[in-house]
Amino acid sequence: MSASLKAKVLGNRPVGPQVHLMTLAAPAIAAKARPGQFVMLRVSPGPEPLLARPFSIHGVEGESLLVLYQVVGKGTGLLKEVAQGQELTMWGPLGRGFELGGDDPLLVAGGMGIAPLAFAAESLEQKGASFRAMFGIGSREAFTAWDAVSGDGDCYLEHWDWAAASEDGSLGREGLVTALLAEALDRRTGPVLACGPLPMLKAVARLCDEHGVPCQVSLEAPMACGVGACLGCAIPAKAGGYLRACQEGPVMDAALVDWGRI
Amino acid sequence: MSQRPDMAVKVGGVELANPVLAASGTFGYGREYSPYLEPGALGGLVTKGVSLRPREGNPPPRIVETACGMLNAIGLANVGLEEFLKNKLPWLAEQPGAVVVNLYGESIEEFAELAKALGAAKGVDALELNVSCPNVKEGGMAFGCHPGAVGQVTAAAVAEAGDTPVWVKLTPNVTDLAPMAEAAAQAGARAVSLINTLMGMAIDARTRRPVLANVVGGLSGPAIKPVGLRMVWQVARAMKARHPEVDVVGLGGIMSGIDAAEYLIAGAGAVQVGTASFTEPGAAGRIAGELAEFCAQQGVARAGELTGSLHT
Repeated sequence: MSASLKAKVLGNRPVGPQVHLMTLAAPAIAAKARPGQFVMLRVSPGPEPLLARPFSIHGVEGESLLVLYQVVGKGTGLLKEVAQGQELTMWGPLGRGFELGGDDPLLVAGGMGIAPLAFAAESLEQKGASFRAMFGIGSREAFTAWDAVSGDGDCYLEHWDWAAASEDGSLGREGLVTALLAEALDRRTGPVLACGPLPMLKAVARLCDEHGVPCQVSLEAPMACGVGACLGCAIPAKAGGYLRACQEGPVMDAALVDWGRI
Repeated sequence: MSQRPDMAVKVGGVELANPVLAASGTFGYGREYSPYLEPGALGGLVTKGVSLRPREGNPPPRIVETACGMLNAIGLANVGLEEFLKNKLPWLAEQPGAVVVNLYGESIEEFAELAKALGAAKGVDALELNVSCPNVKEGGMAFGCHPGAVGQVTAAAVAEAGDTPVWVKLTPNVTDLAPMAEAAAQAGARAVSLINTLMGMAIDARTRRPVLANVVGGLSGPAIKPVGLRMVWQVARAMKARHPEVDVVGLGGIMSGIDAAEYLIAGAGAVQVGTASFTEPGAAGRIAGELAEFCAQQGVARAGELTGSLHT
């Protein structure tokens, strides 16, 4: 039997005005989770809201799973009210994660795209692999508790030497992370691993394509089941037809995606 | 403590270990859910609708959550007959539980061709004709809204399916379902499954755009259970009076064993669990267990005793 379970909430606290970090006891999922994979999490046991939500796995601490989420709607609004000790229905780990094997990868995170890429960075660090990372955000204020986000007392940026860009200049360079990426791509050719808002991913995919650099993107789509059955999470494929974000993704080779139809 | 109830039923010409099946379009080709259910937990499953050729489906967004339910406009995306027979059915045939193959044609001839190929395939226990999909332009609900067309499609499939029983899945998007069920029964259907999704739509008021790329979609989930119960009750009464050999398979918003029992009481011989599997991958197995528990608690010796037992 696979991991569909009632997971006990061990912690659920704000790490920014709209961003929360949840810790769940989930040994079976934690044991198998790889960076870029996700879990389906039911925010309420009743029929409203009905569907579970997909969340990137932000990290694993022993037998616990970390979920970093932004409060954007009804579901996440309820999620932030969940108290320590409550049990939530959760299944996973699901989907295709990042290929971390490439030489000297470059991690590019935009906003909440930090959630899976922090896990990727942690795995790379554990493997002793060299990598570089960059992070773009609207404002430093989005995360008020950087130590909580990274889990071990350090800001990601300090801990992993991440280059940063912010739209208001409060963190790193003023502007978009794609400007940092464009400069980096002029100097180096390691594969790019990206997660963030769709316009950012489109720009990242285009830049990588122009530079002939392999690029993996983590994509989102409305999703009901998470296991490949509902066919809701269709991502237009370059070869025609659709790929399922939950099975062929969420991490996909950017070259397989039809960015014009997405 | 009462004895363990006998959950086995025979419905639509198929022996089922228990009355709970997974519904078409919500359970893939079965394997997607195998990590989440004990083998043999279900009476059976109904596959995603199979068409002659593979179908890509509709552009996204294809689904949206609504109050106590969801809308979908998948557009019958599926691997097609050849791939189904080659790579999906062999695994299914080895699993415990009945395999009902849902099939979809754009013409009567396509329904007949599919019925012939699938009826002859090893491991197929019954066929379920999809004359009720709201999300495709050709066939689908267009057939299911006219008794004459339901009868023609059913007769053509029954003629080609050999000994394999034919079920017909009906759409609730009609004024009166009874004539559709009557037409299916007269044409040789062994069971009618109802209800498919209710046509609906969702609008984003800020952008003034429909949420689904297809504009309209099919509503499922607990929101539609009262409609499903009412229609099962009406059709089951009609079948009992005129075609007692034809069973009703009930579905629409079943989330618990009690919900399943309600459908049986309304007149269904078996039930299908659909959207619940999205909300929890082991839902159909849990519901089968809860139904058995309900029977035990109520002193129901055989699950079949519940069927049509409504006191009015």
